[in-house]
Amino acid sequence: MTRLDTMDCEFPETLADALELMADDTTRGVPLSGGTDLMVQWAGGVVAAPQRVISLAGLPELKGITLKDQCVVVGAGTTHAELRASEVIQARLPALAAAAATVGAQQIQARGTIGGNVANASPAGDLAPALVITGGAVVVAGVHGERRVNLTDFFKGYRSIDLRADELIVRFELPVNPDGSREMFRKIGTRSAQAISKIMAACRIRIEDRTIRSVALAVGSVAPTVIRLTELEAWLTGRVCDEDTIAEAVRRTVSAVSPIDDIRSTAAYREWVSGSMIRGFLDAFFNAEARERR
Amino acid sequence: MAAVGTSVPRRDGREKVTGRTAYIDDMSFPGAWHGVVVRSPVAHGRLKGRHLDPAFDWSQVVVVTPEDIPGENLVHEIIKDMPLLCDDEIQYLGEPLALVAAPTKDLAREAAGYITFDIEELPSIQTLKEVIAQYKTDEGKLHKFCAQTIVKGDIEKGFEEADYIIEQEYWAGHHEQAYLEPQGLVAVPGEDGSVLIEGSMQCPYFVALELLPTLNLPPEKLRVRQAPTGGAFGGKEEFPTWLGGYVALMAMKSKRTVKLIYDRHEDIRYTTKRHPSWSRYKTGFKKDGAITAVKVEFFLDGGAYGTLSSIVLARGVLHAFIGYRCDNVFIDGRVYRTHSFPCGAFRGFGAPQAIWGLESQMDLMARACDMTPHAFRLRNAVVPGDTTATGQTLAECEACGTVLERTLEKCDFEAKLARCTRGAQDADTWYGVGLAFFAHGSAFTGDGEARFKAKAALDLALDDAERPVVLIRCSSVEMGQGAHTVLPQIVADGLCADLRFVQNPLPDTALVPNSGPTVASRTTMIVGNTLYGAGRKLKAKLEAYASARFFESQAAILKDSVFSAGHDRVDFEEVALAYLKEHGPVRVEHQYELDPKIAWNQETFEGDAYPSYSWGCNVVELEIDRATLQIEVKKVTGVFDVGRVINPMLAMGQLEGGFLQAFGYALLERIGVRNGAYDADRFQTYIIPTMLDAPPFDFEFMEYPYTFSPPGAKGIGELPIDGLSPAVANAIEMAAGIRMTEIPVTPESLFEALRKQVKS
Ligand SMILES: Cc1cc2nc3c(=O)[nH]c(=O)nc-3n(C[C@H](O)[C@H](O)[C@H](O)COP(=O)(O)OP(=O)(O)OC[C@H]3O[C@@H](n4cnc5c(N)ncnc54)[C@H](O)[C@@H]3O)c2cc1C
Repeated sequence: MTRLDTMDCEFPETLADALELMADDTTRGVPLSGGTDLMVQWAGGVVAAPQRVISLAGLPELKGITLKDQCVVVGAGTTHAELRASEVIQARLPALAAAAATVGAQQIQARGTIGGNVANASPAGDLAPALVITGGAVVVAGVHGERRVNLTDFFKGYRSIDLRADELIVRFELPVNPDGSREMFRKIGTRSAQAISKIMAACRIRIEDRTIRSVALAVGSVAPTVIRLTELEAWLTGRVCDEDTIAEAVRRTVSAVSPIDDIRSTAAYREWVSGSMIRGFLDAFFNAEARERR
Repeated sequence: MAAVGTSVPRRDGREKVTGRTAYIDDMSFPGAWHGVVVRSPVAHGRLKGRHLDPAFDWSQVVVVTPEDIPGENLVHEIIKDMPLLCDDEIQYLGEPLALVAAPTKDLAREAAGYITFDIEELPSIQTLKEVIAQYKTDEGKLHKFCAQTIVKGDIEKGFEEADYIIEQEYWAGHHEQAYLEPQGLVAVPGEDGSVLIEGSMQCPYFVALELLPTLNLPPEKLRVRQAPTGGAFGGKEEFPTWLGGYVALMAMKSKRTVKLIYDRHEDIRYTTKRHPSWSRYKTGFKKDGAITAVKVEFFLDGGAYGTLSSIVLARGVLHAFIGYRCDNVFIDGRVYRTHSFPCGAFRGFGAPQAIWGLESQMDLMARACDMTPHAFRLRNAVVPGDTTATGQTLAECEACGTVLERTLEKCDFEAKLARCTRGAQDADTWYGVGLAFFAHGSAFTGDGEARFKAKAALDLALDDAERPVVLIRCSSVEMGQGAHTVLPQIVADGLCADLRFVQNPLPDTALVPNSGPTVASRTTMIVGNTLYGAGRKLKAKLEAYASARFFESQAAILKDSVFSAGHDRVDFEEVALAYLKEHGPVRVEHQYELDPKIAWNQETFEGDAYPSYSWGCNVVELEIDRATLQIEVKKVTGVFDVGRVINPMLAMGQLEGGFLQAFGYALLERIGVRNGAYDADRFQTYIIPTMLDAPPFDFEFMEYPYTFSPPGAKGIGELPIDGLSPAVANAIEMAAGIRMTEIPVTPESLFEALRKQVKS
C-alpha cells in the first residue's frame, strides 16, 4: 500500500513557494491536488509512487471562481463539487457544470480538481470537451512567470499536455457562453455513477432563424486526446439546421473520430454513438430554437 | 411471543455500519510475518526448474516449495486433481509455484522477484468459445472433467409428437463475487506442531478437514476459526481451503504467525469465479403450446482444474428444465478444462446459467406458436402432483405456478405487454417487458443431507456478567446474509425463551459440531431446523429440572420465557441460573433428519432431487435509448415462495441484494480471458452496479412453509440471482425486436446484433 507518510511531502503556502520548489531538480516533487488520480495510480502500481510530493492544497492562488469581463476565471484547485454548485458556472458555462456533475460520485467530486483532471491528461477526462468548446485558455506558471496556452493546443496527444516539468497549472480563463447561445454536455459511461466515459461530448451553438451562426463541438474518448471537430464546425456555420444538415453532420462526425476497442467499449459502438450524440445536440438546439420562434 | 416472522434488526448491524467490526486484516497478530504467492507466468507449460538468485540474502525470508509439503501435494475437493503448489504441468497463468514469507510484505515481494523458473511453454485453450468450437468439430481433443445426464421418457418420440422444433444456443460469461472484504487468512503455529487458521471464510470445516492429508496433521492439531467475514457469495466456499494450505505451510516452515491477505487486484485476478456456460436448447412443442420434448446440452468452463465443478454441474443440470411439465427430457451436462483460473462456487451454483437458457427458450417457443410469454408458461407450469425431469413428484408445500399467476396480476403484465415497441423504427425510446419463472432446489442435492448428517448444539452457560446465556454452536457462518440474527430467532422459538438469551459466537472448530458448509441455501432451512430441535431438547431438559426444583414435580411448561405449573410461575433466568449453579454448563446437540421419503439415485439422477424447492417469478420493465442503446431497467416486480419467512426485513434484503448482483450479471459485469489472464481485473474495469443503477424493486413473498422441517423455511440465498437475466433478454426482445443470447447484454453487444440484423 502507498502511504503519504512514507514519502517526502512538502506543503507550500504560496504559489511562489511552490514554484520555487518545482524549479529545482533536487526539491521538485509530483504536484498533488485532490489525489484522486494519483493515489489510485500509485496503489494500483500503474505508476510508481514518487519519493517527493508537493501538495497544492494550501495555495490560495489556485482557488476561486470569478467573472471578469466576458471570461470566467477558474482556479486550478477548484473541485468538481465547487464547479457544479457555482451559480456563475451554471449560468455562464453550463456544459462545464454538467460535466463536473458526472465525475465519479460525491466523494470524488469533493476532492478531485479541475487542474488535476486536465493535468492527468486522460482521453476520458470528462471536463476536457466542456473546456475546449469555450475557446478559452489555461494559464501555467513557473518561477520565471506565466504562459497562456489555448486549451485546444494544450491537449497535445495521448496523456500528453503542454506543461513543463517545472510548471504548474494556475487557472483557466474561459469565455462565457454568449447570450443567445446554448451549451450541452453528454456522457456515456460504463454505468450510472462512478463511471469512466466510453465517450462524452460537449457543444456550444448559436442558432438564429434556423441558421447556425456559430458552433463549437468537442468529443472525448474517441481519439488519443479530446478533439474539437473544427472542420465540421466550419462546414456547419451559416447552414440551415434541417434534417439534411444534421444527417451530413452525423456522417462527418463519424469520419472525424478514430476510436479504439478497449475494455470499456468498442470502436464500432463509439463511432456510431459519437454521430448520435451530435445528432442529439443539433436536434435539441434546433427544437429549442423552433419553440422560441413560435 | 414468537421471534420467527418478525423483522429483528441485524445483530451485527450496528458494529458493521459504524466500522467497528475487526476483520482479519484489522486484527493484531504481534510479530506476524507476511506471505506472498509466487505464480506461473504462463497459462500452460512444463515446470523444468526453479532458481533462487544468490544475489538476494535468503536468510531473511522463508521460501516454501512443493518439497516442503508434509503430506500429499493435493487439494482435497470433490475432484481431486489440483496440487496445492504446482511441481510439474502448469495449467493456468497465476498457478502457485512457491510461497515466500518475510517480516514485511515488501520484503516478501522483493524476494519473490528473485525466484525464477524454467518453463517449457505448451499450447493452451483458454476460453469456452474455443472449447465449443472444438466440440463442434472434434471433441476428442478436449479434456472433460465430468459429465452428468438426466433422462426422462423418450426424447425421439417427443420430437416426433411436436408441431414445432426450435434450437438455440446461449452463452454466459465469468462472474466475480465482488465481496467487500478480499480473501485473507492468518496461520498461527503451536509449540506442539499444531496449527490454527483464522480468517474470512464460509466453511470452517472444509478448511479443517480437507487440509489434513496435505499438511499431514491429525484432526486435533488443526483448528480453524472464522473471523468476521465481509461477504462471500460462494467465493469463500472452497477457495479459503487453498489459501489456508498456503498460509499454513508458511507458518509451519517459518514457525511464525503468517498473514496472507489479498488486495483487490490480486483477489480479482487469482480467485474463483462463476463458471462460464454454453447451453444449446432443442425443444419440441405442439400448436397449443404443450411441450413434448426438451433436449439440453449444458456445458461449463471449469477452468484449469476440476475442483468442485461436478457439483456445480449437478445443480446446473437439475435446473436446466425446471418448473414445467414435459414427459421427454434429455439433459447432457459436461465440464471442460480451459487453461484459466479454476472456476468455483458462486451464489446460484450452476442454476443461474441453466435458467438463463431455459427461460429465454420459453419466450422463443411462445412466439413460435403465437402465444404470449405468460400464456405459454401458464400452459406448461407445474402444480403439486406433477413430476419434474428427475421424476420427483411435487408436494403440496410447493408454490409452483402460483407465484407466476400472482406476479402477472401484481404488475398487470398483459397491459404492459401491449405497450412494448418490438423494434418500432419511429420510437425514440424502446420499451419492453420480460418475464421469467423459476425454482431453486433448497439444500444439498438429493439425499445429501441424510448422508451429511448436520449437527448443531446449544450450550447453556454463564456470560461474562454471570447471566445465563444460550450459545449457538454450529459451523454455519455469518457472512453478511444474516445467519447470526435468523438462527437465534429460530432457537428462541424452539426454546420458547426470549431472543435476548440467545447468542451466536463465531464458529471455532475446536468448539462447534459440524453443521456443514454455509452453502446451497441450506443454513436457515437445515441448520435452522437442527437448532430448533436442539432448542426443543433444551426446553425439555429445563422443564424437567424446573418441575423438580421449583414446582414440586408438577409438570412445568416453558413459554414466553416463563416456566409455569398450575398457577405458579418462575422466570427463565431464575431456572437457568439455578440449573447452572447445580450442574454447571450443559450442551444439547441435535442432528438433522432428512424426510425419509426422499429417494435419490446419484448415478442416474432419478428421484427426489431436493427436499424442497423455492419458487420465484420476476418481471423486468426496461427502456432502450435509441440514440445510445443504453438499457435502463425501470422496474423489477417479483413474487417468491421461500417457505416460512423468518425475518421479513432480512429476507427482503437477500432478494434486493441478490437481484442487484443478478443485474450486474445480466447487464454490466463482463470479464474476458486474454493471454490467459482476466482482462477486467480491478473495480475500475470490472463494472458492478452502484446504488444509482439499482432499479426500483417491487417484491412480495408467498409463504408455503416446508412442513417437514419446522419452522418451515426453504432456501432464499440463491433464488434471487436465478431469473433476472432471461427476463432482461426477454424484455429486450419485446423492446428492440431482437433476441440476445449472450450475457452480459451491453449497448455494444446490442449494437452489434442490430447491425447484423440490418445487414441480413
Ligand atoms: C472512483 C473514481 C472515479 C472517477 N471518476 C471520474 C470521472 O467520472 N470523470 C473523470 O474525468 N475523472 C474521474 N476520476 C479521475 C479523477 O477524479 C479526476 O480526473 C480528478 O479531477 C483529478 O483531480 P485531482 O485533483 O484529484 O488530481 P490529482 O490526483 O491530485 O492529480 C492528477 C494529475 O494532475 C497533476 N496535477 C494536479 N494538479 C495540478 C496542477 N495544478 N498543476 C500541474 N499538475 C497538476 C498531478 O501531478 C497528477 O499528475 C475518477 C477517479 C476515481 C478514483
